[in-house]
Amino acid sequence: MARMMRTAPVDVDDVRRAVTSVPDPELPPVTIGMLGMLHHLEVDGAEVTVELLPTYSGCPATQMIERDVRAAVGGLAGVEHVTVRFRYDPPWSAARITDAGREHLREFGIAPPGGDVQGAVTPDGRPTLPVAVGASDPRPCPYCGSTDTVRDAPFGPTPCRDLRYCATCQQPFEAFRN
Amino acid sequence: MTLPTPTLPDLTAPRAQVLLAIADDALISGHRSSHWTGVAPSLEEDLAFSTIAQDGINHADLWFQVLLGNAGDSSGHDARARVDALGLGRDPADYRHAVLCEREPRDFAFTLARHWAYEHLDALRLDALTGSSDPDIAAVAERLRHESRYHLEHADHWFARLSATDGTSADDDAHRRFGEALAVVLPEALGLFEPVDGEDDAVTSGLFPRGHVALREPWLAVIGPRLREVGYDALVPSAQDRVPDAAAGGRRGRHSPDFTEDVWPEMTTLYRAHPGARW
Repeated sequence: MARMMRTAPVDVDDVRRAVTSVPDPELPPVTIGMLGMLHHLEVDGAEVTVELLPTYSGCPATQMIERDVRAAVGGLAGVEHVTVRFRYDPPWSAARITDAGREHLREFGIAPPGGDVQGAVTPDGRPTLPVAVGASDPRPCPYCGSTDTVRDAPFGPTPCRDLRYCATCQQPFEAFRN
Repeated sequence: MTLPTPTLPDLTAPRAQVLLAIADDALISGHRSSHWTGVAPSLEEDLAFSTIAQDGINHADLWFQVLLGNAGDSSGHDARARVDALGLGRDPADYRHAVLCEREPRDFAFTLARHWAYEHLDALRLDALTGSSDPDIAAVAERLRHESRYHLEHADHWFARLSATDGTSADDDAHRRFGEALAVVLPEALGLFEPVDGEDDAVTSGLFPRGHVALREPWLAVIGPRLREVGYDALVPSAQDRVPDAAAGGRRGRHSPDFTEDVWPEMTTLYRAHPGARW
């Protein structure tokens, strides 16, 4: 009891800051807070429970994120036990990415999903891969801002990204899948 | 040294059998898709099949977590060991995927024909499962349905490209070879619609809305018109067609040497050589 009296209570806002500041291991400029992955957190005395929404079910970074969140929260004064859970309900969606997250993705060369700009889909006669998803999900070029872009391939270097091409600056780029 | 054996739930229950069928279809399709990593005919296809393989194995992992009742909380060593025991620790006869999924990739035409047949079943099945009375199953199906759009789109694209009869293929070689592959795949694909033991109970309880047997009709309604459009009329399976004997029984653990002597030994080598290993 004496120990409990001496320990300052865990501050929920500190916990939230610690969780949301954890960087995505594959996209370090973007934090999991910016990606909108934090669903819920609970502080009960010295115990903290964090519920996260995975952006992609097969994301190999998931285990690293869990480890990093555990370390970030576990390092806070007064925290003795951290539980990290991933939830699928509600499903994560790209709409959860914050404005800051979208800007950081773009600076990293990855076109963020959604947004106001309607990109033109202008296949130039080259045999491109299918556009069923891409045609309804155009992205401006993250480098020059042109909307004259096409999706080259629906599968990219990681499961959450696809491959695009900018006809204006002739630069290939990646897009965060919707 | 005696290693602790992870305790698994009763795998004969209808819920477990249904989830094993879904997970094993994804797991074994994933392993076969990984065949193309490094040797696909183009870089884009290398990325595509590598991603599809990774998705399949991860989707299986997630369904195993659902089966074990800990979806999203598989980080502890015990939870991980239980998932691994389901994925890699069963005897071949305890796997519930359709025989079609275990077939060798053969050539690109066969791979894409199977991919097309399977992804259309998987899309319909995930749609049905979003209405499951089991909240964990419904939530995971909703998430995976979103991701599987890319697989279906990829499969449909190649179907259109290889089956084209508009003269884009100089000698119709693609149309002919894809047709030959579909002629092998489609009869065996009917094995996807066999029920697991106890599936009636899972359908009645709402756990698996529709069920495998009833998904065959909507699947035929999707693929039939597509086949006819491109002149593959003779390949459209009829409602009465039965699964060829060689491809029947996968959902009850009857597998071909393609699985028992090829996929299974390779897939489980490390697990069997180093029991209890962590990675």
